[in-house]
Amino acid sequence: MEGQGIIFICIFVPLIGAFLLPIIGRFMPRLRNILALLFVLTAFISAAIALPQALSGTPILWQMELPLGFTMGFLADGLAVFMAMTSSLVASIIVFYSFGYIEHYPNQNEYYMMVVLFIGSMMGLVFSTNLLLIYLFWEISAVCCWRLIGFYRGKDIVLRADKAFLVTVGGALLMLIGFISIYVQTGTFNLLDMQGNAISNAAMVLILFGILSKSATLPLHTWLPDAGVAPSPVTSLLHAAVLVKIGVYVYARLFLVNFQLDAVWETAVPVIAGVSALVSAGAAMIETDIKRIIAYSTISQLGFIFLGLSCGTMVGAAGGLLYILMHSLAKGGLFLCAGIVEHSTHTKDINKMGGLAKCLPITAVAFACCAFSVMGIPPFGGFFAKFMVINGAATSASPWVSVIFIIGAVMTIIYLLRVFIKVFFGEITHPDIKEGSWEMVSSVSILAALSLLGGIFINLPSYVTTFIIESLGRW
Amino acid sequence: MSGLSSMITSGNGAGLIWIMIIIPVILAFLTLIIPKTAYIGRAIALLVGVIFNFIAAIAVFSTQEITMLLPWANFEMNLAFRIYNFSGFIVLAISVFALLIAIYSVAFMRNKNESGQVFFFYLLTVALANGAVLANNFVIMLFFWEALLVTLFGFLIINQKKNVKTAVKALVLSGTADLLLMLGIALTVYQAGTLSMDAIVDLPISGIGVAGYICLMLGAIGKAGSMPFHSWIPDAANDAPLPFMPLLPGSMEKLLGIYLLVRVSYNFYNLQPETGVSIAVMTIGAVTIILAVAMALIQKDMKRLLAYHAISQVGYMILGIGTALPVGLIGGLYHMINNALYKSCLFLTAGSIEHRTGTTDLRKIGGLAKVMPVTAVCFIIAALSIAGVPPFNGFFSKELIFDAALESGWIFYAAALLGAFMTAASFLKMGHAAFFGKENAPADAVKKESPPAMQLPMIILAAGCIIFGVCNFIPVKLIFQPMFADIVGSHNFAGWPHSATLVLISCIVLLIAVLNHIYGVKKTGQGLGAVDHIHYAPVLHSIYNGAEKRYFDPYEWLMIVVKIYAYISFGIDRAINWIYDVLLVKIVSFVSARLRMANNGSPARYMVWSFSGVAFIVVLFIALM
Repeated sequence: MEGQGIIFICIFVPLIGAFLLPIIGRFMPRLRNILALLFVLTAFISAAIALPQALSGTPILWQMELPLGFTMGFLADGLAVFMAMTSSLVASIIVFYSFGYIEHYPNQNEYYMMVVLFIGSMMGLVFSTNLLLIYLFWEISAVCCWRLIGFYRGKDIVLRADKAFLVTVGGALLMLIGFISIYVQTGTFNLLDMQGNAISNAAMVLILFGILSKSATLPLHTWLPDAGVAPSPVTSLLHAAVLVKIGVYVYARLFLVNFQLDAVWETAVPVIAGVSALVSAGAAMIETDIKRIIAYSTISQLGFIFLGLSCGTMVGAAGGLLYILMHSLAKGGLFLCAGIVEHSTHTKDINKMGGLAKCLPITAVAFACCAFSVMGIPPFGGFFAKFMVINGAATSASPWVSVIFIIGAVMTIIYLLRVFIKVFFGEITHPDIKEGSWEMVSSVSILAALSLLGGIFINLPSYVTTFIIESLGRW
Repeated sequence: MSGLSSMITSGNGAGLIWIMIIIPVILAFLTLIIPKTAYIGRAIALLVGVIFNFIAAIAVFSTQEITMLLPWANFEMNLAFRIYNFSGFIVLAISVFALLIAIYSVAFMRNKNESGQVFFFYLLTVALANGAVLANNFVIMLFFWEALLVTLFGFLIINQKKNVKTAVKALVLSGTADLLLMLGIALTVYQAGTLSMDAIVDLPISGIGVAGYICLMLGAIGKAGSMPFHSWIPDAANDAPLPFMPLLPGSMEKLLGIYLLVRVSYNFYNLQPETGVSIAVMTIGAVTIILAVAMALIQKDMKRLLAYHAISQVGYMILGIGTALPVGLIGGLYHMINNALYKSCLFLTAGSIEHRTGTTDLRKIGGLAKVMPVTAVCFIIAALSIAGVPPFNGFFSKELIFDAALESGWIFYAAALLGAFMTAASFLKMGHAAFFGKENAPADAVKKESPPAMQLPMIILAAGCIIFGVCNFIPVKLIFQPMFADIVGSHNFAGWPHSATLVLISCIVLLIAVLNHIYGVKKTGQGLGAVDHIHYAPVLHSIYNGAEKRYFDPYEWLMIVVKIYAYISFGIDRAINWIYDVLLVKIVSFVSARLRMANNGSPARYMVWSFSGVAFIVVLFIALM
């Protein structure tokens, strides 16, 4: 098949390029920065090039036979390309933002290497057609995440990085057992060879442990707020572009595309997601650390994504995918705004901030746009995603679940308004701070603008997500 | 992507719909860009926007039915719009109020820093409201409808850089209502199988339909400002820039909310008289009437007093529409337009007083009729209308609602009458205190009438109150009855009310209000104290006290519940975190300490370990074989 090269460029340019960055960085830091951005952009562009073919119905596939009956391969179908584009787009903006944010800190070589490697492993994961390959990239991302959360190297910070690593790797090991039990059942790790198979509930539980630990869902979630000790672009990367999206992606890949699930999961997963959404929304109202609040918000919004993907209706599933995109754009923006605020005020405690809208007007408007998108208020993109998910849940086998999520949505409004008001309005606490660097301010503006455009031109992402869902032929 | 080029329209002039939505948006951004020093530019942008909108609305109202369908996103989320007599009328009404209040605002906002932002949100609000009314697809309607939250929030934070409590309150309460609307739409669409609004007709209110109807109904009345979504409105009266109150709670939100309530109750669903749901809706209306007007009675600030009336009046409309009787439907719609006329007029007179005296606190003003005669006359006309004095417009619409309420149950009629009494009493008090009695104004007040640009809209609105009363066949017979011909049938509700008894009772109620006023003024010696004997009556006094301290504010209750809930879930979260941070660490160190004790370096012990291991393997193999 033609065009297999494009997948390899998409995966291996960031994956291998990452290791060049520290070497170049020793001599030319400026070039290293630009190359890092270029590698990530390459991934985005090559994924975009693969999009038309993915949507044509005959996606690009590359497969290789290995000894002992193993195979490995990459497939660029609609879901994979959609996810790759979402991740690499937001990641590019985050890398650009890092130019301004990270320039005064040590260990920049490692920073850029780990960020780009992180993206590379994400690209590898989304295109993989083999469970072992998925596991491999999954663990590479865990290592990157471990190094990046511990970037500032303080004792407490390293402990939290360890916690994130241990929880996600622990989940991944259980998932691996689940994969092996699938292998025992079907005799292959190749996803393409086992499409439409039913999967045992035991394997489902094991895999769910992995997914929920990566996507920070109750009760495997507490590492995510703790990971807020990382530099803001890193938290943004974890929440918006890469890490937590891995879990939902694998859920979609395995349980929407590949396996038939027992009907009980159409209720069980939404209920887990609902409890997670509600508890974390409550916690977000008490927290006073701006990054922890936004982190709890991510946990809460991941509940909406899981609800959409798992509720068993077509509109819900399409809404869940759309939610991944809209949440990435908006949440990435929120964290980058929080980074500007933190950078300017040198604190993360929202009680010590106030009236920042006067000094940080652009950041305030960008924060408001992204917050409105997460709240699901039009004309921002989050509205359509939220509507489709609620619509899907209301028409599923257990429509009462949608009530839980309406309550969750009300609480989303309350806690995001709380942080927005506390930080940007009220008594002015920092009268003479300045906006972040131009890279930082333009990054948040781009993300805010994309949230708005995503709502007004909803037809484009909606077309892609609907195509993906329709091509599954489930409904 | 597919079919972007294929626009399906029937009838001419689908471009009108785009004009009504896009032109105001473009001009809105223009007002934001024009610098503060070029105020005239901002004013022109605003006026051009609303005049254009008015002309387009006339064209919309006078065209035949137009439907437009532009395929947009998947899952039937099409850009579908429909102009027909009802939506056309609402759009026209919105444009009239937008135009009049804009003329007034241009004069009022001169020399005010925030004029650019006010005009920006003003035009945006008009565009979004047009979109919400004309939409013929539930998602598109919800898109415009919920986007109004952004402009609502924007309006309320303009003045309040330091205290944004009202903006938060408004967004939370209205946001909750809108999310209920979203849920209602999802349930309704599930039942109907389509998002296309004109294809959803007379669903039964049973089974899942009950939930669907109630959610949609709550969303609609939440926009209209009914209880329990009301409590931000009185706060906004003090905190929002002046054009906000007449534009949104005064007229536009009522038009939108009642428009949707009517469509939900008579188009999408089939609301039947004397059903549980109908009684529930009427109860919400009746409770809203009484509680809100009771609060209005004791207010000492003109704008805050009017804000409570804005809530109370919507109760009449909901009561009328909730009866599911033809007379109630026509009465509710007629009251909707009447209320928009006199309520925006009243807010404008209050603004006129604020413009000249710098305050609307009734304790600081008095006897203004002499210095502000035009404002006083307009106020009196509008006050007589809202109090339901014949032959002003409020009298006729209230009589229709009374008629419907009595037919549905005497308790609703009694509630409506009690509301009418308190409405009349509070306006006697406010009019007396502000315009008559001893002349009183702050020292820095400018003692003359407001400029003509502010007088004109008030005069037009007051004239509207008279015309829609005296010539009530125009709204009732020419506009509303033909819209709902299939429901109204051969009835005719125009002209003098049918039942002389009801009119007599209404007049007696008004008379009691006047006597009550005279008694109160005699007792306290001033117009402002006219209802003090009610305010400070034994039991009422403590209730009022509690209400003034916000003990009965549903928002405060919601916030308490949310706070308790938040602490509980924070506790759950911390407990889970404790498992990771403490318990697991303890278990691991406990186990490893035990294991370390086993590895104490003695060769003998390691020998035992090794041999027992080998023995275990051997036993295992034998067992397996």
